[in-house]
Amino acid sequence: MNSLLNKIISIFAVSACVAFASIDPEMEGMEVVSRDDGTFLIGSPTFYFDRALGAGGIHSESELWTPRKLRYRQLFNRLSVLPSWAPIETPSIWMKTGNEIGDLIYQDFITDPNERPGNRTPILEAGVRTPLWHGLWATFRLFQDDHYCTRTYAFRKPLVEGSFSFFGENWPMFSSFYGGLGYTNNLINASVLAGMEYVWLFSESSRWIPVHYKPRVEARADFWNFSTTLVFENAEYQNKRKKESGERHEVNGSVIYNCGESCKHGMLQLSAGLAFRFLDDDGVVYTGLQDNRVLWPFLEMRVRPMDQLKFDVMFGINNRDWLVQDSVEYHVPVFEKMNVTVGAKNIAGSRLNPIADTHEYFDGDTISLTASGKMNLLQGYVGFEDSLTNFLSFGLRGSFWAEYGAETFETKEYVENGLYTFRHGDVARINSWIKGVTGEFWLKLWYKDLLKFTTLTGFERIDGKEKRFEVNPSEFFVSFNADWLIKKTFRISHSLRYRSDAEWNLRSKDPFVVKGDWYWDATFEQRFPKWGITLAGSIIQALGDEVVETPNGDYSRVRFFCTAKKAF
Amino acid sequence: MKKLITILALGLASILHAGEDPFAFKNDSLAVANDISFSHLSVFLEGGEIYPMGDLMDAVENTLYGGIGVRYTYWENVDGIVMFQYAYFKPRTDIYYDGVHQFMGRVGADWKWKTIHPVILGAGFSCSWTRADAEEIYINKRGGTLTDNETEFGWYARISLPVFKYKEYSAGFHVMWEQLWTLPKRSNMLYAGLTFERSIW
Repeated sequence: MNSLLNKIISIFAVSACVAFASIDPEMEGMEVVSRDDGTFLIGSPTFYFDRALGAGGIHSESELWTPRKLRYRQLFNRLSVLPSWAPIETPSIWMKTGNEIGDLIYQDFITDPNERPGNRTPILEAGVRTPLWHGLWATFRLFQDDHYCTRTYAFRKPLVEGSFSFFGENWPMFSSFYGGLGYTNNLINASVLAGMEYVWLFSESSRWIPVHYKPRVEARADFWNFSTTLVFENAEYQNKRKKESGERHEVNGSVIYNCGESCKHGMLQLSAGLAFRFLDDDGVVYTGLQDNRVLWPFLEMRVRPMDQLKFDVMFGINNRDWLVQDSVEYHVPVFEKMNVTVGAKNIAGSRLNPIADTHEYFDGDTISLTASGKMNLLQGYVGFEDSLTNFLSFGLRGSFWAEYGAETFETKEYVENGLYTFRHGDVARINSWIKGVTGEFWLKLWYKDLLKFTTLTGFERIDGKEKRFEVNPSEFFVSFNADWLIKKTFRISHSLRYRSDAEWNLRSKDPFVVKGDWYWDATFEQRFPKWGITLAGSIIQALGDEVVETPNGDYSRVRFFCTAKKAF
Repeated sequence: MKKLITILALGLASILHAGEDPFAFKNDSLAVANDISFSHLSVFLEGGEIYPMGDLMDAVENTLYGGIGVRYTYWENVDGIVMFQYAYFKPRTDIYYDGVHQFMGRVGADWKWKTIHPVILGAGFSCSWTRADAEEIYINKRGGTLTDNETEFGWYARISLPVFKYKEYSAGFHVMWEQLWTLPKRSNMLYAGLTFERSIW
């Protein structure tokens, strides 16, 4: 029995390791740019639509609250890793710089100024985390991503005072700095960071809203089986064009009791926690939270009555909302060399993200970000992965899902403003069944640690009475990924992939189609194991046409960046 | 079993990119034992002439360049290279300033392929930072974009021929082709010059 479990785990371990080529993201939290297993549309580092094919439902991953995201950033109503305030764990010093490729340089001497390509913009990151000194350590990090900013720049620039960033004059979508101290020993891992941040949030009305966190302070402490987080934000809002300004003082955070080491071996595993936000708004701010507070207690439970069977349940409830996410999975012990899994999952609740703001204020209109009633998503799947050899495996996964009451947006009016379209209306529900069927196939090859190769393809067909969703996802993708590690010191990771058309339906009168395309990403990395140094260069979004992937978003351009890191 | 769970956890972590240790390779004792990087290190001075290629021939004049570099052992037959260089480019067209300062940084590798010894093949990435030698900024005139700082990445391929060796010194020729990823077209340049190198250890 144990050997079967071992095999299952090893298969999953191998699958997990080779699922994606390890293309370096340009910033922590921007891994979605190089993902290939579904629909990933990026409008800016602070706004993207991310939905894996086969995830079920029509929402994107970042719209759904889960306990795993307790330390994610709340960017309007989405949960995001970026801008990450998670201290880098390895004592090290690092630096990163890059640029969208396609500046003119000397081509400017032979190009008519009226025919110049758009300006290309850089990224910059530098940071350090010191080694431990009697358990104490210090860190600082400065990071700013100027990609995805030039198309919307003309609209955003007049809204704010100054250059709204730490560096340059590109009005980047975020610019962040923090520094702080930490203490780590066998019993506790704690840190306090303080800094300043400029962020542009994308809202349901399709506006970019500038927020200046001045300061932002985040404290974390992990001890025994508890993880706690406490954040204070003094967020300044402004609209220079309309001479409006306001402030939001916010305290948010979470406390969670995780199932401990001994509990993880038991049949029943329990975790419980509380997430909270308390606000105090002053002047003109563009979003609101009912009662100026939210308290979100939740419970997680795993029951594993036998090695092959597990049930997972997450349940949260407060005075406004409730949310349940549960699943059951069974590894069928029928064919010894084929790992067959059947499972089902269910998401039901009154809101996908119950800790987000409840209202947006737009030109005299109050947009409700909550909808009455509930949503219910059911999904059943079956998958198998063979383990006939120790260098090759292939697998299949098929699923069927149905969703009732899916969150959507009921548009009452569109407002055209040059390049941009804004919308009035409210978050609503699709009160009919949406059904989907998905299929994925993958083939993996590996040879020691020299090569890991994966090819992955998937299709999805969605049907129902309602055909227009915020995003109608891609129906097909195919990808070829490889990670090479030569002499254990030189890594080449690359990913070649195609995704079919996707379509935004509710943010403009006519559907906004993002054409299908091929993309190629690659990372080249020199490693120096003895010295703890890495030097890496990455090319992102090559091959594909430079297109805008979200309404009112910016161009996704070919870019190159390089990173140097040294561990202490 | 514990190991498998660790592998699984690491695998999942690599997907989620959370808590991932980018320096995990430091703990691979075999990789550390076989790491011969920096077992030799030398510094070099370089200088020569740059020839713009293709339509860039109509944009800028040939110019001189000079710089410094570091060569270090990476693998047995492969050296790592880091270079910093400077050049001053004069426009060929009617531009309202004299020229442009260009600083170049390159990271790459040199392959000492025994079959073609002593010829060395090299390639890598390059980054050029440019700024016009202009006192006034007219962004809408030709060349105006260079009055602000402009940076462009690209790649290079090169052939080196060290013909002279004496104790820790060596000298030779090199030819390098470099492409910057500019628009509306890519910019190609050919470099040819001399290298003087001194081994440090």
